[in-house]
Amino acid sequence: MAAVTRRLLLGSVGLAVLGGAAYGASRVVCRFVPRNHPDFFSLLELAPDGEASRRVGEALLSQSDMSLDLPRLASSLAGRPFTRAAMGETCPTSRAALVKDQCALDFAEGRIVMVDGWLLSETEAALCAGRLLCGATA
Amino acid sequence: MISDLRTGGAPAEIEGEVCVVGTGPAGMTIALELARKGRRVVLLEGGGDAYEDDTQDLYRGEVVGHRNIDVANSRLRQFGGTSGHWTGLCAPLDALDFEPREGLGGFGWPIRRADLDPFYARAQGYLDLGPYRYDWEDWRRIVPLPALPLDPSRVITDVFQQSPPTRFAEKYHGAVEAEPRIDCWLHANLTDVRLAEGSNAVSSLSVSTLEGHVATVRAKTFVLACGGIENARILLNARAQRPAGIGNEHGLVGRYYTDHMTIEATTVLLADSVDARLYSESQIYDGAELQFGLRLTPELTKRERLTTNSAFLVPQHANEIYSTDYRNHGWIAFSSMVKAFSRGHMPDRLAEHYCDAVDDLGSVATGVFRQVARRVAPPEAAHVFKLRQDAEQAPNPDSRVYLIDAKDRFGQNRIALDWRVSADDLLRLRRTHELIGQAIGAAGLGRVQLGIAETPDLDMAFSGYHHMGTTRMHSDPRRGVVDANCRVHSVENLYIGGSSVFTTGGCANPTLTIVALAIRLAERLAATA
Repeated sequence: MAAVTRRLLLGSVGLAVLGGAAYGASRVVCRFVPRNHPDFFSLLELAPDGEASRRVGEALLSQSDMSLDLPRLASSLAGRPFTRAAMGETCPTSRAALVKDQCALDFAEGRIVMVDGWLLSETEAALCAGRLLCGATA
Repeated sequence: MISDLRTGGAPAEIEGEVCVVGTGPAGMTIALELARKGRRVVLLEGGGDAYEDDTQDLYRGEVVGHRNIDVANSRLRQFGGTSGHWTGLCAPLDALDFEPREGLGGFGWPIRRADLDPFYARAQGYLDLGPYRYDWEDWRRIVPLPALPLDPSRVITDVFQQSPPTRFAEKYHGAVEAEPRIDCWLHANLTDVRLAEGSNAVSSLSVSTLEGHVATVRAKTFVLACGGIENARILLNARAQRPAGIGNEHGLVGRYYTDHMTIEATTVLLADSVDARLYSESQIYDGAELQFGLRLTPELTKRERLTTNSAFLVPQHANEIYSTDYRNHGWIAFSSMVKAFSRGHMPDRLAEHYCDAVDDLGSVATGVFRQVARRVAPPEAAHVFKLRQDAEQAPNPDSRVYLIDAKDRFGQNRIALDWRVSADDLLRLRRTHELIGQAIGAAGLGRVQLGIAETPDLDMAFSGYHHMGTTRMHSDPRRGVVDANCRVHSVENLYIGGSSVFTTGGCANPTLTIVALAIRLAERLAATA
């Protein structure tokens, strides 16, 4: 095992300082970079945690052409105007109202899924599926 | 004047200007209208003043197609005809009902709704209805309850009016009796239609009582108004001079039988905040008892290539006092008697109704208790509903009435009714419900669960007992039995009254249209006969 020399010690400390400085500088700089990180998970609380919700989620996952996972669901919901706004909304009441608006828009635009004969908006079904997937990965 | 062919001294020859066969809403209306215009009318009724088993037995036949229907008990062969057990819901056909439809064969009347509007307005009075207003816009300022805020380009609120219901025997017996220009004969069963030799004109009718008294009826003009099944049967049985039956040169008599598919399916779940009282109970305003339903706009109906439908919201209550499972023959008889007494006169068929009520005393007691309990208990607003409708079918030539070998006491062949209900009929209704569900979701009002599967259960469809289409109206004799004036294409002086002339059924209960067409026909006959 090589001896710990003073040069090696100073080099390591220097690297650590440089790394810390780079990280700190990055954090500061990144504050000024606009980014979109919608809070997908806050929406999942709107889907009830019950048997009906689970069945809706399962139905959507089984009906979907492509394999749905959480990132895809999040991306899909972030692509819709009211759910995108809801993800950035901190007030639970306003968030629920925005999701309701998105559900209504889904119906108006024909984005409907059918589960046991119930006509549901794709958004509410996606939230149920998201909740189911979250439970599976937890 | 009303006489009975069974009484001694009844003549062997009866004569008038116009002979009308049948005293139901069509025949009675035509006779009264013609008499008011100074025409001498012979009015023939196969039955008597009241129900008689042996007369009613003449209506017996077979059901060979869809089973949820019957051919005998749904009709009444007696003075006043089937108005004797009519339930009274009324609406005109929609303008769309008269139009040809792209992608759907067999649609299109040779007349338009505007042609019937003046007669619809007059028909309201015959049926004890309110003003001739069936557009929600006409009522929204008067009725203080809100309509569901649905996208008006997709789903609209539909208006129906409720007749008491008018019993033609009860209401018009006195008028016919007192009218010197009407010569009404009871127990005059039509047994033959005779054409003048070498011509295409009816010269006489043969009528007979069950006891064998025979008479000949002569007139310039003849009208058959015996209902959607019997009109076809009479024409098909008239084979002495026309082997295929009168008016049946193109094999159309009896074909295109259509009925309303009475179906209660599909659940509507509305949010607690939604006020749906407008749809869940009848409203009385401006002299009219109103009922409201939901229907697709004509534009959307056409675009989606659907048949027409108006859906009523039937509340589903958890509390059993709101249940109507006590409604059977006993309850209906009991409520008929109560309504008649409350109007200050004796109920018709009192003995029958009384006995029906006695037989079902348990249901009557339950019904009375629940009716009282609903008035005492705090009202419960419903938020779960089923959609109930009399849905239209697409015209189908294979759906038909035809003669069978069995004969009645007059030697007339009885009929078989081959009512066809197709999966396509139900799938169109399913799509209608889907579009209503979409509109309810888009308005944020609630959610809908479809009650019709992708592979529909045909047994969910029951007859509305609205027998239509068997002598359908069309300007082309190869596509219809009667012309736009209800005249049999191939006979100069034979006309048809009633729902057998309907080219398509629409989703309105047919009686208002039957009476409107009857007034229109009477106008024409008064002017030309």
